[in-house]
Amino acid sequence: MIDADALPPFVRERLRALLLERSHALVLGFDPDWTLREIHGDAAFHGIDTDAPAARIAALQDLFVGIDVGDDQEIPFVELANGRSVHVYLLADGESFHLLLLDADEARATQRSQQQLANEAVLAGHAKSKAIDALRNIRNELERQRARLEEANALKNAFIATMSHEFRTPLTSAFGHLRLLEQQLPPGESGDALQAVRRSLTYLFALAENLLEYGRGEAGGGLLYPTDIDLDALLADCEAMFCPLAVAKNLVFRATLERSDATTPRFDEVKLRQIVINLLSNAMRYTHSGEVVLALRWADARLHVEVSDTGIGIAPEFQARVFHPFNSGAQSGSRGAGLGLSIVRRLVEQMQGTLALQSELGVGTRFTLDLPGAAASPSTNDAAPVHGRVLVVEDDVDVSRLLEVAFEGIGLDVRVVGEAAAAIEVALAEPPRLLVFDMHLPDLSGCEAVFRLRAQGYRGAILMLSANASADARDAALRAGADRYLTKPIDFAKLEAVARELLARE
Amino acid sequence: MSAGPFKVCMLGDFGVGKTSLVSRFVRSTFSDKYMTTVGVKVDSKEVARPGRDPTKLVLWDIAGRNAIDSVSANYLRGASALLIVADGTREASLAAALNLLMQARGLLPNAFAVLAINKFDLLDRWEIAPPTLTQLRRAMTVFETSAAAGSGVEEAFAAIVAGLDP
Repeated sequence: MIDADALPPFVRERLRALLLERSHALVLGFDPDWTLREIHGDAAFHGIDTDAPAARIAALQDLFVGIDVGDDQEIPFVELANGRSVHVYLLADGESFHLLLLDADEARATQRSQQQLANEAVLAGHAKSKAIDALRNIRNELERQRARLEEANALKNAFIATMSHEFRTPLTSAFGHLRLLEQQLPPGESGDALQAVRRSLTYLFALAENLLEYGRGEAGGGLLYPTDIDLDALLADCEAMFCPLAVAKNLVFRATLERSDATTPRFDEVKLRQIVINLLSNAMRYTHSGEVVLALRWADARLHVEVSDTGIGIAPEFQARVFHPFNSGAQSGSRGAGLGLSIVRRLVEQMQGTLALQSELGVGTRFTLDLPGAAASPSTNDAAPVHGRVLVVEDDVDVSRLLEVAFEGIGLDVRVVGEAAAAIEVALAEPPRLLVFDMHLPDLSGCEAVFRLRAQGYRGAILMLSANASADARDAALRAGADRYLTKPIDFAKLEAVARELLARE
Repeated sequence: MSAGPFKVCMLGDFGVGKTSLVSRFVRSTFSDKYMTTVGVKVDSKEVARPGRDPTKLVLWDIAGRNAIDSVSANYLRGASALLIVADGTREASLAAALNLLMQARGLLPNAFAVLAINKFDLLDRWEIAPPTLTQLRRAMTVFETSAAAGSGVEEAFAAIVAGLDP
């Protein structure tokens, strides 16, 4: 604190003048009843009209409600009605008192800017922590949703795998026994009844495959099993299946085959048939007069498939939609599930082919496919008998009997075991040349059994059979130690070819 | 009981809406721009009393703090009532409000107090749960207020007037 008395008089006087000027000091003298007696200083700065000060005086009086004005009082940083901030001092003077008002605007502005920053930082910190909490909650909820979706997806996959097994196991038995019956007839006489059974089984199989293919979803990555394809047989089967339908609708059905490549085409036969049958079924459904034509052309290792009709056609705005699943509104008068064309597109993509659609409303529709043939498999002497022992591990008696017949047919000695544990013992005691394992066995899974065998030194060939057509199941089997993986229903020609290939590799 | 005027002090942590509540009550205005209060703002409003002459409330809007320091204690002198304010969207502001109330009670044992939980218009962001308010209501008068929308504001000040003049 400066000692004013020690200052030279002219300095003291100058300092006093400066302080009074800068503080805009105002002194008001009051009687005890708040009657204004005197006023000194910058009244205008403080919003006080010296001619009519009553309103401002009342506001100042409010500051001392409940307070004894007989004592000195100090109220810093008071914002008055004019928006200015003042320090207010009450100075008791016997019965009367004085109010001293000093400008605090500048000090307030400084304090406010510091306080504002600090408070806003705290408020922002709070908002930030709340936002982080909210994000954390969202992330947790997404994790929960993902877990639920994964669980639902796992359930869906399990359901599809189960249904796949349920469909394929009886179809294996039916196809196998049909083959046995056909073999018992003289060559060339397979019989109308058996042909009808085969057609119906094939159709049922195609329907089941459509549903399963849809259920597998886009990410299912269905497997391709290329085999040599007899295009004449495919054409004949299509004629046998669709001619009766065409006759019933007074349509002409023509199926043609043109071949300018001498090699044998190789495709996944089930999927190729599924494509052709779906396209023909669609054409038959939407054609009410005229014709339906299937044209196959094998050239430059590519299969060109064209299915055309003189049906109702598809309006341009619906042409993209016909490849979406459950598109039953895309073609007027449609009654199907709307799955067929979406599955055709998916299968064509799996086979790395192209698919084009041309259609004109009221004129007809043409689907054009271009499918590259698969590479030829290592050559094996299909006719030559093979020798050695094959151990078949299969708990389904019907299927094991069919496998027995098939392997005996190519010259192998066959032993059948119904349980995995027993099969491991037999295989280790007397290693067979070929082990054929069913994936689903009563005691151990085929994968577990194969893994144990490999872990105990079995080095022979292992072929895994399963009704599960998923890529996951195949990968699991191959990782466990299987050499090949085939799905049911068993294509016996393919089975024989694979068996020969594995034995030749040994 | 005196006919007034009565000094009413607004107490609460910073940013809870004390200035906005006064502005809503006295001028029926609201600004969503946050402007910190330095020191104290003094306003007044004449209020009606059922069956009695109107009285005047002198409202001391004291800068937000979570505890009472010597300056705030000075501002509280002569207060008849306290409007303790918390922000429903910040649970910590309720703890601060209750702490302020306890400290103020030591200085003003006879002051009538009402608790306003402000920002009711932001209810979806509230951190103060209904059971907490139920518990508080057993001990004091509590209002959910919104200076932005106006809800509960008149009621809170009316409760103060009623509490001052039983």
